[in-house]
Order: sequence, then C-alpha cells, then structure tokens
Amino acid sequence: MMILHRVYISPDKVIVNGKALELTEKGSALLTQIYRSHIGNYPKFFKMDTLCKLGFVASELLLNAEGNRNFEPREDRAVILFNRSASLQADTNYQSTIQDSENFFPSPAAFVYTLPNIVTGEIAIRNKYFGETSFIVIEENDEKLIEQNLSVAFQDTDTKSIIGGWLDCTDEENFEANIFLMEK
Amino acid sequence: MTAPIYITGCGVVSAIGLNQKESLETLMGEHSGVGQLTYLKTEHKEFPVGEVKLSDAEMRNRLGISDNAITTRTALMGMLALDEALKQAEITPEMLPEIGFISGTTVGGMDMSEQFYLDYINNDAHKEYISVHDCGNCSEMTAKHFGDFAFVTTLSTACSSAANAIILGANMIRCGEAEIVIVGGSECITKFHLNGFNSLMILDTKPCRPFDATRNGLNLGEGAAYLVLESEKSAKKRNVKIQAVLSGYGNACDAFHQTASSPDGEGAYRAMKEALEIAGVKTTEVDYINAHGTGTPNNDVSESQAMMRLFGNNIPPASSTKPFTGHTTSASGSIEAVFCILALQNGFLPVNLNYSQAMDDGIIPVHQSTKKDLKHILCNAFGFGGNDSSLLLSKFEQK
Amino acid sequence: MDELIYKLKQEIIEALNLEDMTPEDIDENASLFGEGLGLDSIDALELIVLMEKNYGIKLQDPNQGKEIFKSVKVMAEFIQQNRTK
Repeated sequence: MMILHRVYISPDKVIVNGKALELTEKGSALLTQIYRSHIGNYPKFFKMDTLCKLGFVASELLLNAEGNRNFEPREDRAVILFNRSASLQADTNYQSTIQDSENFFPSPAAFVYTLPNIVTGEIAIRNKYFGETSFIVIEENDEKLIEQNLSVAFQDTDTKSIIGGWLDCTDEENFEANIFLMEK
Repeated sequence: MTAPIYITGCGVVSAIGLNQKESLETLMGEHSGVGQLTYLKTEHKEFPVGEVKLSDAEMRNRLGISDNAITTRTALMGMLALDEALKQAEITPEMLPEIGFISGTTVGGMDMSEQFYLDYINNDAHKEYISVHDCGNCSEMTAKHFGDFAFVTTLSTACSSAANAIILGANMIRCGEAEIVIVGGSECITKFHLNGFNSLMILDTKPCRPFDATRNGLNLGEGAAYLVLESEKSAKKRNVKIQAVLSGYGNACDAFHQTASSPDGEGAYRAMKEALEIAGVKTTEVDYINAHGTGTPNNDVSESQAMMRLFGNNIPPASSTKPFTGHTTSASGSIEAVFCILALQNGFLPVNLNYSQAMDDGIIPVHQSTKKDLKHILCNAFGFGGNDSSLLLSKFEQK
Repeated sequence: MDELIYKLKQEIIEALNLEDMTPEDIDENASLFGEGLGLDSIDALELIVLMEKNYGIKLQDPNQGKEIFKSVKVMAEFIQQNRTK
C-alpha cells in the first residue's frame, strides 16, 4: 500500500502534502476560508455540520492535489473514515432542538447529520463514487490500526484506491482531519 | 470464489424473541412484535414500535448485573445476543483474547444521555453516564461483560452498520488477520431518533406495510444480533458445528442523496451484484431475498428497481421481516442475517406481514407461508448516507 | 403581503443556511426546488418546521409541500390564509 497524498487540518493549521497553506482564520471560520479560497461553487457546504464541512474541504484539497478531476462515475475508489467522537457535535446541535418542551421543533436537517457516515456519503455524492463507504469509531488516532483496517478493504478486488484516515470533531472549534489517498 | 467464511454461532434479541428459538417460532407463527410503546418514556404514543419485551432492570437481572451498575439499553441487548452467540459457537472466556469484536451502532448510549442531558449541564448527579454516550463505549461495555477481546471496533454507517460490521470481520478473516471475529450490531429505540425519523416524516402511525401500495412509512424497532465468523481452518480444528456460510458480500454507495435512495436503486443493485460475484453464485441460484424493505414509499420503490435490474423477470421470492420487528436501524443487518440463517436451516420463506395490495413499479413480496428448501439467501441492509450493503448467506453442506 | 414575503425570504435564508444570499436575490415567483433555488427534500422538511414554528401551521403530509413551496409568493399566500400565530 502506498500513500499518494495527505491532508492535515486542525483549527489553526492546514497542511497539504507537507506544505502549510497560508490562511488567516481559526476554527470553523478556517473551514469556510478553505472553502472560499480553494473550492467554491458548492453551496451545500453551508448546510453541513462541522464534521461534514471538515471532511468535505479535506477531501477536496486531497483530490485537488491529485489533480485531473473529471467527476466521472467510478466504483474503484472507497471512502473509509475513522474517529473517536462519532457525530458528537451534530448530536448536541440536534438535541438542542428537542430539549425544551415549550420550544420543541426537531430539525430534520440537524438530525440527518447525527449519523457520522453522512460525511462519507457527501464525499461520494460530490465525486460520484459508487464504491465502498464506511465509518469506523475507534479509541484514538492510531495510524497502524487505521492502515490495518484499510488494508483489508482491498480484499474487494474492485477497490483500487481509498480516501481514508482520521476525521474527528467534538465541537465547532475543535476538530482534526488527517486523511490520505492510498493505493493498493 | 475464495475460501469460505463459516458462521459457527448466532445470537439474536428483538421484538419477536430473546433468542433464536423464540424468533423462529414467531417468524413461522407469523406474529408481529410491533405494538404500542411500553418501555420508552415519550409522548409519542401514536407510533407503533417493535420493543424488546424486557425492561433494562429485567435485562440486568438476566445477565447477573447489579442494579447499581452503569449500563445502557443498547449494551444490555447486545450482551443478551452475544451470550447466545458465544454459547452456540462454544467459545469460552479463555479464547476471547484471540477473538475480535466488531459492533455496529449509531445511537450508542443516547438512551441515558437524553434522560440525563439537563443534569449534565446543571449538576454532577449523573455525570458517569457521559462516559457511556459514545458509540464506541457501548461496544466496549458489551464486550467487557464477557472478558477481554483481542480488539473491539465500532462500525457506524447508520442502518447498514451491522451489515458492514459483518463485512469488515469477514475481510479480516480472509486476509488472515484473524481466525474468529464476532460481528453484528445493537441499537435501542430512543426519543432522539424517534423524533428525528418523525421530523423526516417517514414514520407510519399504523403497522408498517413494506412493498404494499398503501405503505406510508416505517415503524422503529430495537434489538441486537451477533454472528461468530470463523475461518475454515479454525472451525475444523475446533470441530464446532457450522451453522451457515457467509459466501459473499457487497458494500456500494448510492451516491445520490443524504437520506433518499436513488429512483433506480443504483447502490442496492451494485451491492447485491457484488455479493453474488464474490461468491460465484448466479442470479438464478438465489432462493430468497430478505429485503431492507422499510415500508417508506422511497425505499421500497428503489429496492424493487434494483431487484428488477439484477434479476430481470426472475426475481426470487423476497420479503421484508420489518413488520415483525420494526426497523431495528443499526442492528437490522445482523438481526435479519440471523433470520436468514434460521430460514436456511429450517427451510421456509419468512412472510412479509401486512401486505395486501401490489404497489406500482414494485415487487410482490412473499405473503403466504411457504416451506422451501433454501441454499442461497441475499440479505439487504441500506443506510442513510447512501451506504448500501448486501450479504449472501448459504447453507452449509458437508463435502 | 409584500412585508410577509420579505420576512419569509429572510426566514428561509436563515433556516436553510443559504449563505451569500439576500432577500433581494430571491425571485418571489421562481420555483424553490429544482431549477430555482435548488433546494432538496430535506430543505422541504425544514420549511415545514419553519411554518409550524413561526406561523403555527402544521402539515401532516409531506406531499402537501409540493404545492405550497412552489414559490415564495405561493408560500406567503398559504401562510396568510392559514396562520395561527
């Protein structure tokens, strides 16, 4: 297995293939800044929860680094992400819409994101990936364990490459992405 | 065709029974476990649900857990199912450090979190429950009750979680990373997702009617099921009885919408196709399909289209068992896989309860009790996020 | 009526996170879904919540939305006739 490209995002740092991007914002504002300066033209971004925003911009930077984006349907690329906090930030956000019986309006848009794997689906929709998608919750960002889990995904002979790695978010200002594009 | 993966033990808990024996009797007797809400405290009494017919205290009592212990309903149901699976596969506590545990869940410890959420903010009275909120913690708690496993992993891909736990475990065995992996899922009903599904306007106030013209949504259910997956080498060495074979599986993305399924069932079609390809089984050899069949207008059209595309004019008998159990969300993939194994072993087609009228553009499900010798069964589980998975379960035949 | 339409536009922008849009950008006669604002089924459900929360109108059947959400103007007319708050 070989890692071709890697993207790291924390609330105050963005690194693509070892090179830091020069951005000024911090926290969730940083994600919006990445969107505006490097992506754009995908207004659905603003509807996403923080985990999805993080996964979306990280995967965009990763795929821009790969280059030659054509958005043609493909099934040879899997999206398999890992974290510790599942959908905690979205859970809290949705819970606030059902907490008060006097002001009880469960939000469908907020509920949807209480599923951590929505982010793998969003990446697949954006890039028309019809291959495997999965989301796995583990104790900590253990790259050895992650690679072990990804290596077994290549058992599926259709799968030639994987967008994989760590994608965690506890609230709007605390998150970490360390994702990579890997080939068999 | 690759080396077979054997299933040497199963355990299942749902609205239609606390073990395989009870589940089999209820499936064959055609009694639904869906009814009025009893155990969950909510004002939403208008929605029928498939609850496991035990309180948390009764579950703790059965498991020999003290009433002061911190538990969640998801973990308790998981323990009941895991206990049955371990016993059937003749796995003793000394063996656990060599065995992996992969469990699918999405709601995790939300049942306790939502009860004590205000307390978290206002005082420390129930702060110990914060630590059990995580999905990962529910799997750990379930596993710990029996001992120390080699590893514990949580799969969280919405309603296909348990099916994907099964797929991950099977791939690990195929790679030689493990000889035995216990896989499945557990999920209890919570107000959290009852209100969420209600906000998506996909809950029916009447018993659900998958593949029926009048279908109008799903009923939520709860439960847990685990399967013991084992390599041929290990099963032979232990001389343990083989219950069934996991001969194929597929995981594909619908890549269409966060919650809605594509009109042509692209993801479902690809997942079923891949499961058959891995196994080297032809479409004409499939004897039964246990459909995802939630009873929502959208799912049942999409899944029907996928079946029509794959099987043409020869669609095998198919049914949804969700009218028996309700939609057990993250656990549905493993609960229904166990039902399929029971069908293989006992030679019958589970009935699609509550069916009366053919839908447009859809399949006609099995609606009369039928005895049939079965060899290969496809079992579908689809999740939000377009995460579609299908398992091919086959009868074990001594060579 | 114009006042309600303007207020509704503001509420829609906020509820659906239509970043970078102002009420002036929304044509009150244009379709909210498909070609128009490009909203999807989750947005439709969110608009149903908006009507209940802000105007006390409870829709039971999501299919009713198809007619009501044809445009901001149609939606405003429906609210005018059916509002309880």
